[in-house]
Amino acid sequence: MKLLRSKIFFQGVLIINSIMVLLPVFFLLNSSLRESNDFASTPFALARDPYWENYARVWSEGSFGSYFFNSLIITGGSLVLILILALGAGFVLGRYQFKGNNLVFGFILTGMLVPAKLAILPLFIQLKWMGLLDSRLGLILVYTSAALPAAVFIMSGFFRSLPNDLDNAARIDGASEFVLLRRVLVPLVRPGMAIVAIYSAIPIWNDFFLPLVFLQSPEKKTLMQGLTVFFGQYASQWGVLFAGLCLAALPLVVLYLVLSEQFIKGLTAGAVKG
Amino acid sequence: MNIKRFRGLVAALFAAATVVAPGASVASADTELTFWSWRTEDKAFYESQIKLFEAKNPGISVKFTPYLNTEYNAIVSTALTAGKGPDIIQMRPYGGMANLSDAGNFLPLTTAEVPALKKLSAGILAGAQGYKDKKQYGLPYAVSALGVMYNPDILDQSGIRALPQTWAQMLKAFDKVKKAGFLPIGNAGGNGPALEQLHATVGPTFYGGTSFYNDVVAGKKTFTDKGYVASLKAVADLAKYMPANYQGIDYNTARGLFANEKAAFYIGGNYEMGYFRSLNPSINIGWFPAPKANSGAKRYVGTWADGAYAINAKTTNKAAALKFLNFLGTKEFGQALVDEIAFIPTAPYVKINDPAVKEINRWRTTLGTPFLNVVGFRFENPTSSSILQPGFQKLIVGGITPEQLAKDVQTAVASWYAPQKGKS
Amino acid sequence: MSSALRREQNRTTVSLLVPALAVIIIFTTIPALTTLSYAFFSWDGFQRGGFNGLENFQKLFAYPYSDQLFAALKHNTIAFVVIMTFQTSLGLLFAYAMFRIKRGLRLYRVVVFLPVIFSLVVVGYLWQALLDPFYGPVNQIITAIGLPEFAKPWLGDTATALPTLMFINLWRWVGFPAIVFLAGLNAINTEYIEAARIDGASEGQIFRKIIFPLLAPSLTIITVLTFIGAYEWFDLPFVLGGSNGSPAGATDTLALMFYRLSFGSIDSGANNVGVGSALGVLIFTLVGLGAAFGSKMLRKREVEQ
Repeated sequence: MKLLRSKIFFQGVLIINSIMVLLPVFFLLNSSLRESNDFASTPFALARDPYWENYARVWSEGSFGSYFFNSLIITGGSLVLILILALGAGFVLGRYQFKGNNLVFGFILTGMLVPAKLAILPLFIQLKWMGLLDSRLGLILVYTSAALPAAVFIMSGFFRSLPNDLDNAARIDGASEFVLLRRVLVPLVRPGMAIVAIYSAIPIWNDFFLPLVFLQSPEKKTLMQGLTVFFGQYASQWGVLFAGLCLAALPLVVLYLVLSEQFIKGLTAGAVKG
Repeated sequence: MNIKRFRGLVAALFAAATVVAPGASVASADTELTFWSWRTEDKAFYESQIKLFEAKNPGISVKFTPYLNTEYNAIVSTALTAGKGPDIIQMRPYGGMANLSDAGNFLPLTTAEVPALKKLSAGILAGAQGYKDKKQYGLPYAVSALGVMYNPDILDQSGIRALPQTWAQMLKAFDKVKKAGFLPIGNAGGNGPALEQLHATVGPTFYGGTSFYNDVVAGKKTFTDKGYVASLKAVADLAKYMPANYQGIDYNTARGLFANEKAAFYIGGNYEMGYFRSLNPSINIGWFPAPKANSGAKRYVGTWADGAYAINAKTTNKAAALKFLNFLGTKEFGQALVDEIAFIPTAPYVKINDPAVKEINRWRTTLGTPFLNVVGFRFENPTSSSILQPGFQKLIVGGITPEQLAKDVQTAVASWYAPQKGKS
Repeated sequence: MSSALRREQNRTTVSLLVPALAVIIIFTTIPALTTLSYAFFSWDGFQRGGFNGLENFQKLFAYPYSDQLFAALKHNTIAFVVIMTFQTSLGLLFAYAMFRIKRGLRLYRVVVFLPVIFSLVVVGYLWQALLDPFYGPVNQIITAIGLPEFAKPWLGDTATALPTLMFINLWRWVGFPAIVFLAGLNAINTEYIEAARIDGASEGQIFRKIIFPLLAPSLTIITVLTFIGAYEWFDLPFVLGGSNGSPAGATDTLALMFYRLSFGSIDSGANNVGVGSALGVLIFTLVGLGAAFGSKMLRKREVEQ
């Protein structure tokens, strides 16, 4: 087990992994900057002379600007709702002892077992009945429901890990339960909120199936939904296709880079203590 | 936040959830029709045609929305079953739409409302009829024909002077092409449906074309028939002429090999021509019907009505939708469809200008035989296609024998198709 | 606890739990139960017929569905075992490596997690291009280093398709266990480790005796999530192999089978909602039992700590 002592070994492992991750990513970026027609014969050639037109083409094609905006609204709206609801439910389930706590917790966890695709037909009929079809709000509520179980699971873990003295001190100072939650505890579970935000945002931003089914108006389409059409249209133009892929991946990468410190801190602070 | 304010917020959220109406479509004098399709590649074509329609029909606008083809069935069936969906729907024919038309999702069409239907032959109309009630639910717009496409320049360079007439001659030609340093066929195994089309092209001469079709449909013969097994074996025999690593080559790459003049032949439908030309506008393409199995056999061209336009039974714009459907049935539209996408028109009054398409259509009218799986056996699950598509992928790598595959198809079809029940 | 406080807590409980529960019940529980109920009716296309008891289940366990069902179940199970073994141990290795080094840590933390945030569409298209048997860079590299016999049609050969999918899955997901384990490692009190070092314990002993046992809760979470993910595996096989699990059903999974039974496809025709829903019941039961068992273990461990 000498290996375990050697920092060079660990550096080596991480460097190899980084190459494995970054090489395909580089291929993606490089390909997005090449003219399409020579792609098939020389997939490797470096884009020495970057062909930015691919990006211009993606942006001008269809309504990428509006797709982008819709994706932001839907992902952002869902995140706000998920965070508010998960904070509340996580607080109650994590800090209060009451009859049925375990039962409610278990019930919420069953929500993690149901992929939305499994129930698409009844969900469609139900949304229609509620007047929430072809509506961004309808989609936001569906996403919220899908992400909430995991979010409550994570938040309740964080609330449970905070010392009880905090509550009692605040109560002695005359704080109501809501003030206790908002003023004292929320700042302490911020790292957990970062985890919930990232874990929820990834599948919501990247999903194209539910928008395809639930949104019909062209002006409400999301980015991934728009991309699927785009792929068919440009099936043989790799450069444009890859440029589209890069643009679609960008916002989440930025979100991750911005939140990553909080996120790592959050995981460290207690999510994994369950 | 105090409890009252929080409650207020939650209540407001739910109120908002139930009050905000979908789309909140503003009432206006103009009618907007929605039109769905799985043909993402034809988006530009349809949009330009819609402009022509709108210019002639002020007050009606049409919004064309293509969806990802692999998700199209899920999206359309979900929407229609829930009583929503677009005004006009592009559908795959036969079993592709029968499930939905039998459930009353489409408007039955009459020749009075859609005169273009009068001009179509009975065989073509059948593609867009209900499976149970045989009512007309769609306007078929294209016929497809299967054959062998070839690159005359490569054949020249390989020293092939005459087009093959028999199966043996064709395999000999493949060998010659190989010797000359080209790929014999671009066809590959990555895509199940493409292999099924390959079989529908070269297979009928082995099983006896239309008479076998009629016998199987009537329950007089089964899929385990010797001729049918031989037709499956023919597909397996082609494997060695496919590109190296053919099992993993996807549909677009396979077609790209022919389009980029690396492969001499491509076996499949006329609809591939548009794709070939979009990749390589200067390519020279010839076409001939699949060769006969032996000198005593007959040649066949597999054919079927390959798509139809239907109207949603629940449309609120029936008059406008019919107007648009009639536009899709006009000579001008049909002509554009033929000229720009190289489809074979359903209507006899559309002129084919493309010499290759003309040639295909000439053969089709004399040698045509129904695409067995599409025309006959896609109406209930397990369809014959759902067994054959993965089956062919196994067959070409030797993972299953033609006899076993034939037996599997028979068992699957016999499980729901009454005339075949209990037969093996 | 004073009764005033108790009353306030009861009010808080109701007003905070009800909205979350309402959303889950309305948008997840009710639609899911409705789908499951479809399994007990006969279906004609998309029209529901009469109640037909367990007939759909009988069909599901007869040819040709039974063949597909057991093949798919086998693929899901292989995926669970392989992903659990390789993805988790590699994740642990990366986490431990990051735990032991300082230089470049910030960079590695971002890079390791980067593929996790990529959309599946992006990952799918990217790897399809990389692995293309004709033009793909992967085979060109393999040929260039003198091993042309290993330049395979990775996604098209029935023997390599499933392993290739699992590799791509690993490429995309390994950052998840890595980050979770890293967090678990960081939460360990370093004093224990230092003390053991002073007592002369080897790094191997420290890892086995101190670190690994303390990572048990992280491992349980990963196990449960991997279990759910593996038995509901859909997106990656769908993007790369279509709804038939191409080639020749080699990448078929339970969820793919459910999807094509429910909706049919424009390439192969009609659907069968009844049998599809019967399969849905089966998947739900399987995953539910597995996850419940896993969660129970999770709670038990928590008590022991």
